[in-house]
Amino acid sequence: MSTSSLESLIYSLVPQARLDQVLKKELITHCKDVLSSHIGQTRQKDIGHLSDLVKRQLAQTRPDGISSLQFTNLLSRLLEQPVLSRKYDSLLFLHSLASSTRNPSPAPSFLPSLAPPPPLTARTPINSSPADGLPPTRLPRGKSKAEILRDFRNRSGRPHLSEELLLRDTLYLLQGISGKYIRFSPANDEGRDMSLVFTEDAGHFIPRPTKELIYRLSEVGHLYTRVDRFVRDRETLTGVGMIEQSLCHHLQSQLTDYYRLIAVFESQLTLSSKSLDDTASRAEPDIRAEESGLTLKRLDVWVNEWRLRMRMMSVCVEAARDTHGGALVNLIHSYTENGDPFVRKFTDQLLEEVSKPFFGTLQKWLFSGDLYDPYSEFFVSVDPGLAHLQYVHPSTPSAGFGTLSGDGGFAGLSGDQDEILERESGLRLWEAKHQFRKEMLPTFVGEGFGRKIFSTGKSLNFIRYSCHDTDWVATREKLNNTDGTLQYSDIAGLERSIDTAYRIASQRLFDVFFEKFRLLDHFRALKNYLLLGHGDFADQLMETLGPSLSRPANTLYRHNLTATLETAIRSSNAQKDPPDVLRRLDARMLEYTHGEIGWDVFTLEYKVDAPLDTVLDPDSMVKYLKLFNHLWKMKRIESTLTRGWMRTGSGTKAFVHIPELEPEWHRIRLYMAEMIHFIRQMEAYCQLEVIECSWKALMDFVHDKEGDLDALIDTHRSYLDRMVKKILLIGSRAGREENLLNQVRDAFSTIIQFHESTDNLYNFCLTESARRDSERDARRGVFTGAEQRNGQTPESLLRSLRQCMEHGAAFSEQTQAIVHSLQSHADLDCRFLGIRLSFSDFYRSKKEHPQQR
Amino acid sequence: MSLREADRISSAQQTLDILFEMSQLLNTQLDKETLATCVGMIESGVNPEALAAVIQELRREGAALNAQATADGRESGAGR
Repeated sequence: MSTSSLESLIYSLVPQARLDQVLKKELITHCKDVLSSHIGQTRQKDIGHLSDLVKRQLAQTRPDGISSLQFTNLLSRLLEQPVLSRKYDSLLFLHSLASSTRNPSPAPSFLPSLAPPPPLTARTPINSSPADGLPPTRLPRGKSKAEILRDFRNRSGRPHLSEELLLRDTLYLLQGISGKYIRFSPANDEGRDMSLVFTEDAGHFIPRPTKELIYRLSEVGHLYTRVDRFVRDRETLTGVGMIEQSLCHHLQSQLTDYYRLIAVFESQLTLSSKSLDDTASRAEPDIRAEESGLTLKRLDVWVNEWRLRMRMMSVCVEAARDTHGGALVNLIHSYTENGDPFVRKFTDQLLEEVSKPFFGTLQKWLFSGDLYDPYSEFFVSVDPGLAHLQYVHPSTPSAGFGTLSGDGGFAGLSGDQDEILERESGLRLWEAKHQFRKEMLPTFVGEGFGRKIFSTGKSLNFIRYSCHDTDWVATREKLNNTDGTLQYSDIAGLERSIDTAYRIASQRLFDVFFEKFRLLDHFRALKNYLLLGHGDFADQLMETLGPSLSRPANTLYRHNLTATLETAIRSSNAQKDPPDVLRRLDARMLEYTHGEIGWDVFTLEYKVDAPLDTVLDPDSMVKYLKLFNHLWKMKRIESTLTRGWMRTGSGTKAFVHIPELEPEWHRIRLYMAEMIHFIRQMEAYCQLEVIECSWKALMDFVHDKEGDLDALIDTHRSYLDRMVKKILLIGSRAGREENLLNQVRDAFSTIIQFHESTDNLYNFCLTESARRDSERDARRGVFTGAEQRNGQTPESLLRSLRQCMEHGAAFSEQTQAIVHSLQSHADLDCRFLGIRLSFSDFYRSKKEHPQQR
Repeated sequence: MSLREADRISSAQQTLDILFEMSQLLNTQLDKETLATCVGMIESGVNPEALAAVIQELRREGAALNAQATADGRESGAGR
């Protein structure tokens, strides 16, 4: 190390050392100690940082700023010099020295505290800084660059417009008013979009950056005019929706806030300009004005938040032009899903306001079933044609019905036309009176809840107007009003209320239907009468009606039928049924054509009225009639066969004298047994497997009491459809659904024909046997009857026999075909019917038998 | 090598001037001679902050000695 340079250093700083060798040596060793220490060795060599430090230091000592400028200058020059390899170190040296000279007692901030304390610290520093002793001579302030520039501009005749004037204009712009130097001008004919025009002349020149700034500011003004115009337009317009009205209100209150802001700006402006006037004489501008005065840039910062807010508002305004009602709420709601907390908060507030009328309507709808929506903004709309339709329901039955059950038969006689009209409106009223408009449903509600709300209100409305149960609804409404109002901020509460209201309403609807209107009784009556559930009644009816139904249809009279029905009711258990049910039961004839007999056209009917026809709609009733028709036919076959079996059974005794026909009769009995098996299985299948099973499913639903009227209608419909499908053996192949049914019907008619020919044979046998009896009597010499050898020759006997056998064989074949079809039927129950019909593979072996032969 | 040396000599003066101006600006109270010595030392690898501390020490020492000695010495020592 350069001891010589160290020596020279010591000599120059401590002149005494030249004379004193001991002192010199001491100092050298000490200095070497210090130098070999690791003070600040680890610092990074960042010359920029260092120069910053130096500048800060300079600024502290001499606040005029010139010295730091000088330093910058010097540093740049130094950096250009190629000589020094360690410029940073040199600079650091100077800086350390400078900072240590100024405040020597505490270690300089960047020196690590670990640095070894200089051994001479004990001695008090005598001279901290000679500069301190000097008076603070502030350099006279030179002209700043900006001032120089301004002077230059003034000289060259292009003075900048003073900021105060621009500020004043900008404040006008913020209110959408053109200023003196800057004004709005419509860019196109509509006047919707505007552009900014700067008025410049020789005396006034607006620099570009300022223009940019003013453009930014004027956006707020432009948006303001849009929002303001919208609000004003809506104020004068009539027929503006409530949601829109509340939007306007919210916008208006926002605008009021905005006016307040502008007013603050104005006062600031006058304040600052006044203070500017005051300080105009002085050379230095007032520090206070500099701190708080209004400038374009400050304005920009302050207005920033409002810019966002105005943008949001103008978006809403734009949207409100095209949409309205729930869709508008939806649109605003779509902005709440924003990551920007400001936007989110703003839209939340807005939505809170805007959705108030919506929630008002919702509340009314949800709790009282009233749709109060004069501007059709709600997501439920009412069909104007059906809105005022209410029908008079016979909830208080007139005296005649209650006392005389017999009246039931005649009740239907009066005005069939009116009734049909009314029937149609029952289901239609429920389904079409209110419509669900998905596009109007606010998204924050969710479609599931929307449906629930819709259903709840519909149920209440129905209870109220169609079931005339206003009191209950009114009570409910009062109860619910105490719960507090629904609002946007309480979505969870809303969902809870919806759930509760939905449950209560559907519960009530069920109660109304099942208790007030005895829907279950009607279901049961339909099952008992139209589906022949009451066996004794059906038998009775069959017995009393049978003979007259064999006559041609045009000889039948309705009053005879109804009288017979009455008899059947009275003589069976059916008389125990409530009179309200019985009076609805009616017998009538379908429209008939020439040649049809009573069996073809007779039908039972069950009359339903409002509001029951909501569930038991005309379509369902047609299905019931269809089922009845089929079951009734089956019943007829059954009773026919029963009678036939009795005859053939008892006939064996009677025909003991005609032994030559004994094998024929045996075969007839076999055929008949086959038929009886067939019809029994059919009936058992219909009653037990289809009707009762379906009924159970329906009852399960009824007891659960869950869901709304729609669910009830659906369940009943599926109950009915299931029965229709299975009883009528509807196939799955398109176009040939009724194939099987037709086959069964053919089998039925074959049975009837077989029965007729057996009857003929029976009659013949009876007369033949009587003849032989009298012959035998005559042989014994007893004359018991006139000898009447009439024309009944063996030919007619043979013909009857042949017919019997033909029909029997035909039936057997038909059954075989039916069984075959049933085996490949899509429905499992029907397939089982096939198995039952052909139990122990009776028909298959029969089929294989002829093949084997 | 000699060319480089020549360059150094030619521009050393200029560099030294700049550094001296800086040191004046920073009020380090070093004279040109001492500054040159210091810069030379730094160039040869001396830790600059340690060197600053050394200068500081030496000044203090000198001042103390001056105080012990005559009043003139103090004036001359501090004036540097």
